[in-house]
Amino acid sequence: MAKKSSRHKRSTGRNRGWFAHLKRYLPLLVIGVIAFAATTVVLRVNQTPPTCANSKSCASDLSVKIENDATGIFQGQKIIPPKITTAMASLPQSPVLGANTTSGEKHIYIDLSTQTLYAYQGTTLVLKTLISSGKWRDTPTGNFHIWEKLLATRMSGGEGADAYDLPNVPYVMYFYHDFGLHGAYWHDNFGHVMSHGCVNMRSVDAKVLFDWADGPTGNTLGTAVSVCDQITSAKQCIQNNPVQ
Amino acid sequence: MTIRHAIELDTLTLLAISAVVGIVFAAYFNHKPNTRYSFSLPVMQAQDSTLSPVPSEAPVFAPEVQTFSQVSPDGTKKLTMTATTNKDAGKTYAFITSDAANANQQSIYEATLPNMENMSIPFNTWSPDNAYVFLGQNTASSSGAIVMKANGEPIVEGQRYFDVAALFKAQNTGNTYQETTGWASETLLIINTMQPDGTKGSSYWLEIPSKAIIQLSTQF
Repeated sequence: MAKKSSRHKRSTGRNRGWFAHLKRYLPLLVIGVIAFAATTVVLRVNQTPPTCANSKSCASDLSVKIENDATGIFQGQKIIPPKITTAMASLPQSPVLGANTTSGEKHIYIDLSTQTLYAYQGTTLVLKTLISSGKWRDTPTGNFHIWEKLLATRMSGGEGADAYDLPNVPYVMYFYHDFGLHGAYWHDNFGHVMSHGCVNMRSVDAKVLFDWADGPTGNTLGTAVSVCDQITSAKQCIQNNPVQ
Repeated sequence: MTIRHAIELDTLTLLAISAVVGIVFAAYFNHKPNTRYSFSLPVMQAQDSTLSPVPSEAPVFAPEVQTFSQVSPDGTKKLTMTATTNKDAGKTYAFITSDAANANQQSIYEATLPNMENMSIPFNTWSPDNAYVFLGQNTASSSGAIVMKANGEPIVEGQRYFDVAALFKAQNTGNTYQETTGWASETLLIINTMQPDGTKGSSYWLEIPSKAIIQLSTQF
């Protein structure tokens, strides 16, 4: 009986010691976990790559949409979009870019610092024009490929006075999620940031680029698109924190 | 220091260490180092595209007559400027709108300026609906713009065009007109300004044809 009591006492003492350790170190563990979680949240929020240029339409679908009787809205202004006809997709390629006379890999470069787009085929510069990149949301920098070409679609997003809803956005070439190159008929302020993350072009330039650039086919990727923070005078594309 | 104080200090130290360890681990597992990549663009061939649309620049007068044009954003219209060197000092600038194929020409503006002044066609000259155009008008010390209807009609009754800088100055906003960048919509011209201290000021809209100046909460 005495032996049993002694064992019980030792066991209770061990339990007390374990509880005492738990009582002492549990707050440390909790603090550590909370600090880990809080830091993780802060870092993730700061690192979250832009995944959606058009907050509304990117969630619905990114398919062809031709709505010739619809009206749009941008900056609180009612917009009448241009008519889109499917025949626009089957027009012969513009001779401007000389697609039949140049060879080599096609590559589109965008210089965000000068709001300029360059399209190269091999070493030949085939198009240079001013664009409008993201004002209300940054255009992601990185190296991409066109993953979808659409003759026209609807883009919508924003909130309050910044809300926009634009049917018949022409000559769309998505290169990263719903970030794309496309014509912009609702403004003429190229050379200055003016978009929600996409690369706006004059419709006349967008058509030329649309006819020239390739979408993906089979195992072949679409035309390469490099978005650069800056292209130096030595023709170096500088990308700070590219998303891919 | 009592034993109790020592224990409390010890506990606080451990708590702090625990928090720091948590932050360090989180930073380690979530840190995406700042990356900076660079690569070269192809070296341009001599046959640089003369066919591509390029930004307009202030005219440089080599021959006696120089012509420059800018298509509308949809490619259906064209604004053409002809700068002719006069026998006396100065140049005469003539502006004509037409279809892209040069049909339906319409003279919309003509001015003779001294050598220290010039005119130009900005890249964003056309309003999105092709109803208006704005032209650059620069002196040695300032830049300005005038806006008019693309079909040659008066912009308002009795007035051929608006002087954008003059309209802005008349509003006494406290900022100085700097440049007209382009069109925010079919009737809204974007004006950038400078504050009295020389820093960038607010951007404004000039609403056509009401001539209202609207301050924006954002800068272009």
